[in-house]
Order: sequence, then structure tokens, then C-alpha cells
Amino acid sequence: MDADNTPSSPATADISEAPPTSASERPREEPDFDTETMRKTRPGLKRFTLTLTVLLSFLLGLPFLLKSVEIYRSPLPFREIDDLSAAVESNSLHFPCQFQAVFVDFGVPSFTANELSMSIESHMQKLAAKDSTFCGACSNNSTVSVTLESGSDCFYSNNDLKWKCGALNELNKFEGSGKYDDELFDDYLKSRLGDNGNSSNGGKVYTVIVVRKEEMEEVRAVVGKYRHAWMVGRVSEEAAVKKVAEIFVKVFVNGGKEEGSISGEFMPVGADGRIVLSFNLLNADPRYWTYGWEFQEIDDNLLAPIIDALKPLADIRVESQVLYHTPKSSFSYWDDKLGSYIFTRNDLPFFDLKEIFEVFIGQLRQLFGLKSKGLLGDVSGSLRLLTSEAGFTEWELDLLSRQHTCFNLLQCATTLGSLSRLVQSLPRMIIKDEIGKQVKYSLEAAKLAISNVSGGVYDASAVSSRQARSFAEDAFYHPSMMSVSYYSFEHCFAVYSPFFLPVSLHVLLAALREWKRYKQESRKYNAWKAKTM
Amino acid sequence: MSRFKSSFLLFLLLFSAYESIASEDIVQVSEEFTEALLLRPLPDRKVLAHFHFQSTAPPTRTYGRHHHLFPKSIYQLVHKFKVREMELSFTQGRWNYERWGGYDPISNSNAKPPGVELWADFDVPQHQVEDSWKNLTHALSGLFCASINFLEQSTSYSAPQWSFQSVSGKLRYGTLPREAVCTENLTPWLKLLPCRDKAGLSSLMDRPSIYRSYYHSQRLHLRSDEFDTSKTSTGIVLEQTLTVVLQPNTFSGKTSQLSWSLSSLFGRKVGGKCSLSNSSNVYVQFEQSLVSKVKELREKRESSKNEILMHEGFQNNPLFELSLPPKRIIKEVEKLTKEGSILYEFSVEDYDESEPFDLGLSWKVPVFWSCQQAPLRTSRFLLGSGNERGAIAISMKSTESNNVERSGRDDKECWLRVGIFQVVPWYVKVYYHTLEVFLDGEPQHTVDNVEKIHVSPSEDKVSPGVMEIVLRLPCSVSTAALTLEFDKGFLHIDEYPPDANQGFDIPSAVVRFNDFLTNISFDDNSLKRVPILSKLEENIPVLSYTEVLLVPLTTPDFSMPYNVITITCTIFALYFGSLLNALRRRVGEEERLLREKAAKKMGPLTLMLSKLSAKLRRKQWEPPKPSSSRKSVINKKLILKVLLVAGIAVAWQYYFQ
Repeated sequence: MDADNTPSSPATADISEAPPTSASERPREEPDFDTETMRKTRPGLKRFTLTLTVLLSFLLGLPFLLKSVEIYRSPLPFREIDDLSAAVESNSLHFPCQFQAVFVDFGVPSFTANELSMSIESHMQKLAAKDSTFCGACSNNSTVSVTLESGSDCFYSNNDLKWKCGALNELNKFEGSGKYDDELFDDYLKSRLGDNGNSSNGGKVYTVIVVRKEEMEEVRAVVGKYRHAWMVGRVSEEAAVKKVAEIFVKVFVNGGKEEGSISGEFMPVGADGRIVLSFNLLNADPRYWTYGWEFQEIDDNLLAPIIDALKPLADIRVESQVLYHTPKSSFSYWDDKLGSYIFTRNDLPFFDLKEIFEVFIGQLRQLFGLKSKGLLGDVSGSLRLLTSEAGFTEWELDLLSRQHTCFNLLQCATTLGSLSRLVQSLPRMIIKDEIGKQVKYSLEAAKLAISNVSGGVYDASAVSSRQARSFAEDAFYHPSMMSVSYYSFEHCFAVYSPFFLPVSLHVLLAALREWKRYKQESRKYNAWKAKTM
Repeated sequence: MSRFKSSFLLFLLLFSAYESIASEDIVQVSEEFTEALLLRPLPDRKVLAHFHFQSTAPPTRTYGRHHHLFPKSIYQLVHKFKVREMELSFTQGRWNYERWGGYDPISNSNAKPPGVELWADFDVPQHQVEDSWKNLTHALSGLFCASINFLEQSTSYSAPQWSFQSVSGKLRYGTLPREAVCTENLTPWLKLLPCRDKAGLSSLMDRPSIYRSYYHSQRLHLRSDEFDTSKTSTGIVLEQTLTVVLQPNTFSGKTSQLSWSLSSLFGRKVGGKCSLSNSSNVYVQFEQSLVSKVKELREKRESSKNEILMHEGFQNNPLFELSLPPKRIIKEVEKLTKEGSILYEFSVEDYDESEPFDLGLSWKVPVFWSCQQAPLRTSRFLLGSGNERGAIAISMKSTESNNVERSGRDDKECWLRVGIFQVVPWYVKVYYHTLEVFLDGEPQHTVDNVEKIHVSPSEDKVSPGVMEIVLRLPCSVSTAALTLEFDKGFLHIDEYPPDANQGFDIPSAVVRFNDFLTNISFDDNSLKRVPILSKLEENIPVLSYTEVLLVPLTTPDFSMPYNVITITCTIFALYFGSLLNALRRRVGEEERLLREKAAKKMGPLTLMLSKLSAKLRRKQWEPPKPSSSRKSVINKKLILKVLLVAGIAVAWQYYFQ
């Protein structure tokens, strides 16, 4: 250890630090040699190195100890989660939508198709800017393709969508009867458009057909059950353009919602993509009358089409039960004059099952944030909205699926965000591999959904967004996350402090003392050296 | 819209027309609900009340998924887990086989082990059975507010081979002996009834009266053939029973039996039937031994008074009197020489809230009788002491009832077959080779007396040990005993329950008398329509449950790890401290310093101390030399240290706020 290599005798080992007894006699001989401030030998390093080694080995051992008490945490892609939240939250998802406007019988066109297209787009952007953009809206730069059809002439704007001119030749057939039956015309248009527009993007093209009829005073605007609307009547091109833009924005994009009505970022669908419709028939007192309902028929005839229609959005299950001896919900009072019990008129729907079901469908639509009025009023007259037997029209379903995708992605991002915050805030929490995997899958599905959204593939994006959300929820509600079995830092401290606190005190103080002493002694030696020189 | 409406109306009309035509062809089976209450005086002054509710749902294939009466949750349960048969019971108290009977159908199907017992038979492929069971336990746990989910662990349930009727191998059985049963389990059970406890017989279920009882067991049994492909499926039958043994709280010292009424038993009266129930009857059952007592009494009276009785009416019954006239009297078909039991039927339908139904029974003369017993009375107990090993013993004593003779086919070869089904948790390590059989106190060759045995030994922390055995005992045997030795295992510290020192339960063993079937048969076929009576007519195997055993296991001192950590750490710290001190010690220098210090002036106390030490060491005392600055330096260092520690403490506090 030291330069001195005579370890056999402790007296000689100490020679470097403590002056030997013979040396202590010296001060008498040399009057200017002060033992308090000077020493003649170089101070030894042995004890200092020893204590330092102990300290160092403790410090070196510390990482090993920490490693040994470390708990398993599956690495979570925190940065990717943050990226996803940023991507979803910063620019709310915009779906590319395709619009098509067909102007029929406008005579000699005063505008070209491209000009019309441009002006519709600008109107649409103005309208969309007024409405605050909500989740699931179409992107602002959606293109509108315009077709001008006049007799045998056909002009197209510079877009991919080509309306097959002459498809409406049979229009006169409807004309002949004197008046339009909207529903029949709707189906007729569907069959025409079905031939026509299926070319790209799964045929999800929103079409407005404007037919100019000089003999009709009143302009009639109807939105059909499918993805098209039409206007018939004496209408100028400018007015038609405005109206078309309005139909596109207010109906096909916003779903006929009133301005300012806040539907919230909510979709009544569970994390697993399921809805349970539970119907309860309550009977306050079965002693006097036992009410029954033919729910099997209701299920088969009324609910089945709705469930079928909403299948892309959610997996709906229906259950029913009859409960007896429940608290009353509609109260009657006895009237002496009439000699009978009296109910208020509000209770009337409760006595007719079919009406109840209309109410119910209305409620269901409201739950999804859709209006149930047949008319949509606005500045330039009213729009008639046709209803579907299934309760939801195709364009409404499109809207719902867009919203669903968007909300799912938002939810997924929030869930993953809170998961990552939770995990980062609890450094001693065990994270199983399974959670890491679920987070990974969720992120992958979310990315796929986002890329599908930008590609305009609605169905696939809805499916993958649902997956993303359910994986995220699974990860967040994993049983191991809920458990309290992870042990805290305080716990760790309580276990190791009885050892490390006293020992480290000893080691540190010893090293400190030896260091001080060494410095002091070497100062003495230097003083002596300076003196002798 | 109007078009749609009218078309829909038309459709409905058409549909209903079709329906009416169809209903003429096929007899529409509909949902049914019945309620019944059976009361029976017991020999030890208590009264047995047995509530029986039955709901049936026709098969889904013909009837559809929507029900008016059948509970939705049970239907969903059956369909989700494909349950073929299931029984769940919540019991508190122990059925007294000796006094309350062990041979009649009610005691055999309703005497259950304490706590929760669940068995279920599934209609799923073999590899899905475990999953179905686990999910079912969780669903039931939520449904009945009980910790049935603990049966999910593979250590707590077993798959009996042949102790239950099912031979499919898809039956699972589990018990929770320590589950406390209370009103939070009864309320969800009542919710399955269409009238809950708002009307009908269930309105008698006054919670304090029920939970004050000596024994109460609520049971739910369901059987479904929904998944059978045959056409004759009956759908789902849900049977709910509540069996209570109550002590009438009227005190009269004179008679041996206490008179009672529904209001004195339950504190309530029945205000009419549940309007959804098809039938709502109350039965009072008198056992055969009691009936024969009545007959004896009557014969005595007849001989003395020389009267001719027209009918065994209830009015002129010499023994007891019922406060209401029965609707009819149902007699059990007599078996051999034995008198059958008698059921008095009362219908609740004619009563309402203004005139509630309150049946009373009063005894005229003191009477003593005994219940019919199972051929053997079983009990189970532990042998041995200490925390290391022990033995389980099951003892069976002959009740010397006539049943044994009845079962004997031949005088020469009369055998009594006793099946025992026993589940033992893994931490009680049973050595099955130590099985010993004693007959009348004499050890026997095990092979001679065991007809059939099936053992699946426990696997540590994986599965419990299961023993199924059929013993063949001679009919003349008066006592038989069976012992099994075991070692007590050690649990991991995490596996101990919160109250580990209480001990661990070994669930009840099921003892089954294979040759004995019990039922009450009636000759009137119309009675088969009443579910409780048809239930009584069914042949039920005679079985009894043994006591739950409490095994004390070695429990560790749960605070020990911390004590050990603290002590070891202190020792280590001491060691390190002294080692370091020794290493950096400078002996020569220290001596020199001491000498210097001694040379310096000292206070009177230190002077005295040094003198004393010198005297002790028998050395000559040298006057110490004065030192000037030593003390102040030490003080400064001390202050510095205290400051350092305080600083660390403050930093620590600050960092962790």
C-alpha cells in the first residue's frame, strides 16, 4: 500500500505518520522545530487510501444494488404516445369527402363548370368557417365536381367524377304524373346513381342535382335517404350554387344539426363497441292488471332494421324484462265529477306501444346527436329531409361513422396519454409485457386509422379506430395496473435505511477525516521542508 | 311517414292473424311461476319453513329471447355459459340430522354445508369447461353480492368423477365454508322472483326473523336443456328455495311442543298471493311417526268412547288443531307397513290485505316423536395435535332405523354402500395410502370394505386433493370409522388470509347412501302439476354433509421480516463501523495525544476521574498537562455533526414534499 514495506511491525508501519519516539526528542535539540506545525517525514497515504477504497467500493456497489431491487417495467413508447396525442389534438381529423353537383336544363350556361365548382367550394368554405369545425367533419379542401347538362350537351369540371349525362332522361316520367313523389324519385335517383358513381372510393359521393323547371314557381329541395339531394324549380344559377353549398355543408357534413347545438365529443358506444338496449316494462301493481308486451315482435320488426343499419358503428344487443311492483311513474287522480281516474295527456304515449317506439327511435337518434325533424329551415327556404325505415339514412350513417372514428381516436389518445402520465408518475409500478403489447397494438391501430382517414377509407378507419380504443382501454384497465402490489419508494427506504444509514455515515466520516488529516499533515511536512530548504 | 305507419299497421295485423292461426296448431307453452310454503313441526320444538319458488321458461327456439316472468339475468347466465344444471346454496347454521331428520326429501335436498356451495354442469366442449366455470363464478359473485369469485382459483374447486349424477365430466364443484351469509345475499335472490318480497308468500321473509333462525339455507337450482337438439326440450327450470328452522317465540312451559302461527314465527302475515303466480299454497306436513301417534291416540279414544269417526278430519284431531280449515288433505301412499305422512293444503288465493292469511297450529296434548333417520349418522373430526401432522376421521354410527333392513336383499349378503366425497385443500397433504377402515372398533382390511375408490392427490398451489370412495359395510355394523393421515403444509407469506390464526377450513364431506332413495309419493296424479309436490315425489338419493373442519396451521410472525431486517442491518452497521475504526486507528499517536492531554489542566471532575482510574489500574497518578483548545474543537465538531444531520433531514423533507 504504502512505500514502506515492513508490515510485520506496527511500530515501523506507523513511521511515516507518527514520528518515532526518537524523533520526538528532537525538538529539544532544534529549538525552531515545532511539532504542532511541522513534521519531517512525508505523511503516509495508507489509511486514507483504505477508507477511500471502502467508500468507492460502496459507491460502485450501489448501481448493482439498485439493479437488483429494480422492478420490471415493460418499456412503453412514451414519445409515440405523445406524438399521437399531438397529432389527434392539434388538427382535428378531417375526412376527405367527395361532392358532386349536377345542373340540368340550365339552358345556355353563363358559367363554365369549373367556375361553378370554384364558387360552390368558396361558399362551402365560408359556411364551414361559420360553424366551428367539429370532430368528424369533412376537410375544407374537399373538391366539388360540377356537371352541366343541357339537352344533349354535357360539360364537366376538371375532377375525376364524371356524371353520366342523360341518366335523367326518364325524368319526364315523373313529370308526367303531375307531381313528384319524393320517395319514389329518391329510389329512382338511387338506381341511376348506383349505375353511375360506384367507380371510386366505394361510391361515397354526395350528389346534389339541380333541375331547372321554368314552369314550377316554387323551388323544392329534398334530401333523400341515400347520399343525394335534389332541387327542382325555377332557380337561378347563383341561388342554386348557394343552396348546393348549403346542402353540402349543413346536411351532408354537419348532419342537419342546428348551429350552436353542442353534441359534445360523445358517442353512446362502449369501449368494446357494444350497445345494450335494455327495455323494461314497469308495472306498479300487478294485482289489478298484468300488462304484457309482444317484445319478440317488436324486436324482430322494429328494432332489427335499426340494429342492422347501425352495425358498422356498434354491435347492438337488445334485452327486455318486465318488472313488477316498481315505483309508479305515471300518476292518476280520482275525479268525483267524472267518476273516473284521470291521467295527464303527457302519459298518453305510454298506452300505445308503436308510438313509444317512434319516441324511442327519436331518442336513439338524439343520443347519437341527430335531429328527428323532417324539415330543415334556413334563409333560403326549407329543405325536406326524407326518413328511412331503418331510422337512420345513409348520409347520417356516414356522418356517424366519421364521428365515431374521430371520437374513438380522440378517446384512444386521451387514454394512452393518461396511461403514460400515470406510469411516469409512479416510478416503482410494475408494468407487465402485456400492457406494453396492448399499447403497441393500440398505437399501430390508431396510426392505421389515421392513415385510412386521410385516404378516405371510412369503414376500415372506423374498424381500426375502434380497435385502437379498445386496446388502449384494455391496457389502462389491466388488472395489474389496478393492483396495489407495487411497493413504494418509502417502503424501499424503510427496508434499506437501517443498513445504509449507519454504515454510510461511518464510511463517509472516516474518509472525510482521513482526507483532512492527510491535508493537515502534508501542510506540516511542507512547512518543515520550506524551513530546511 | 304516414305511409310507413299504415304499412306497419297492416303488417302487424297480418302478423297477429298469422299468430292466431299458428297458436291453434301448437299448444303454446308459456312462462310459469309458482310459489309454495311447506311448514313442518320438528321434534325439538322448532318449526321448519320451506319456501319453494319455481320459474320456468320455454325453450328459446319456440318462444324467443324475451320473457315476462323469467329473470333476465338467469336467462343470460344460462346462455352465456351454457349451463346445463347448476346449484348454488348459501347456508348459515348446520342442519341437525339427528333431530330434524335425515331421510325425507326436504332434508336431503335442502340440508347444505355452511357457507356457499356451488356446482355446475356445462354444455361446452371439454377444454372450455374451466373457462366457463371461472366466468360463471365471477358472474354469480356479482349477481349475489358474495365472494363466489374465490372459487375461480384452481385450488378451490374440483371435478368429481362419479359422486354427482353427471357423467359428462363437465361438472365442477366448489365450496366456500367461511362465507358469511346475510341479507345482502337474500335481496338479489329475491330480486329473481317476479313479485320479489312485495307480495305473496315471500312477503313473510322478515329479515330479522330469518337471520335469527337456527338454520337457514337459500338455494338456487336451475336446469336447462336449451342446448339439446332434441325437440322435446322443456327450456329452463329455475327452482329457488329458502329453508329456515325457526323457534316459535311463544313460551308456555306446560306443553312439550309450542303452538305457533305464521305471525308468531315471522312477525308477518300473508296479504294475498303473488298475482303472477299460478298457484300459491301453504302446506303443513306431519311426519309419519307423528301421524302414527295421532292414530294411536285416536284408537285409544275410540276404544274408550266407542265413537265412530267418519273421516280423519282436522277438527276432531286429538293431538293438534289448525286455526284454518285446509283446502284438502293429501296423504302419502303407504309404504309397506308404514303409515305415510300427511300434508294439509291451504290456498292463499282467497285472502287479501284486509283479511290476511295467518295459519296457526296449537297442540292439545304433549307429544314426543322422532324423525326418520338416514341409515348412518356421520360425523367428521380431527385427530392428533401440534402443527406438523394429524389425521381426519369420519365416523359413522348406525341409527338403527328400519331402513337398513329394508334395503337388504338377502339375509346372507346384506351390504350397505356408503359413498364419501371429500375435497381437501392442498396445504393439508393427505396420505391416501394411510386410509384405514374400522368396523365396530376393529381395524379391517381396507380392500375388503372398499368397493370403489378414486383419488386425485393434491398438487401444491395448483389443485386440491379429491377422494371419492364407496365403502361396502355389512348391514349389521353399528359403528364404522375411516381415518386418513395428513401433514400440514406451509403457505407462502402472501397466501395467508388476514385472520390466519383462526385456522383453515376443510370443506364438508358428502356422505351418500347409494342404495337409498327417498320420496313422498301421492296417488293423486293431479298433484303432479304442483311443482313442490312433484319435487317431493322425485326420487332423491339420501345423503348428508359432515361438519366443516378447522385445521390450525403454523402461522408465521408476520412482522418478523422487518425485525430480521432491522437487527441484521444494525449488526452489519456495527461491524462496518468498528472495522473501519480499527483500520484507521493510530495507536502510537493516540497514546501521545492522551499523554499530552493528561499533561494539560483538567477540571476537578476529570482530575478525580483520572485519579480514580489510576488507582484502579494501580499505577502512579501523573498530574495531567493543561490543554487549551481541545474542548472547544470537540464542541465545534459536535455542532457541525448535528447541523449536518439536521441539514440532511431538512433536505429530505423538502425533497419529498
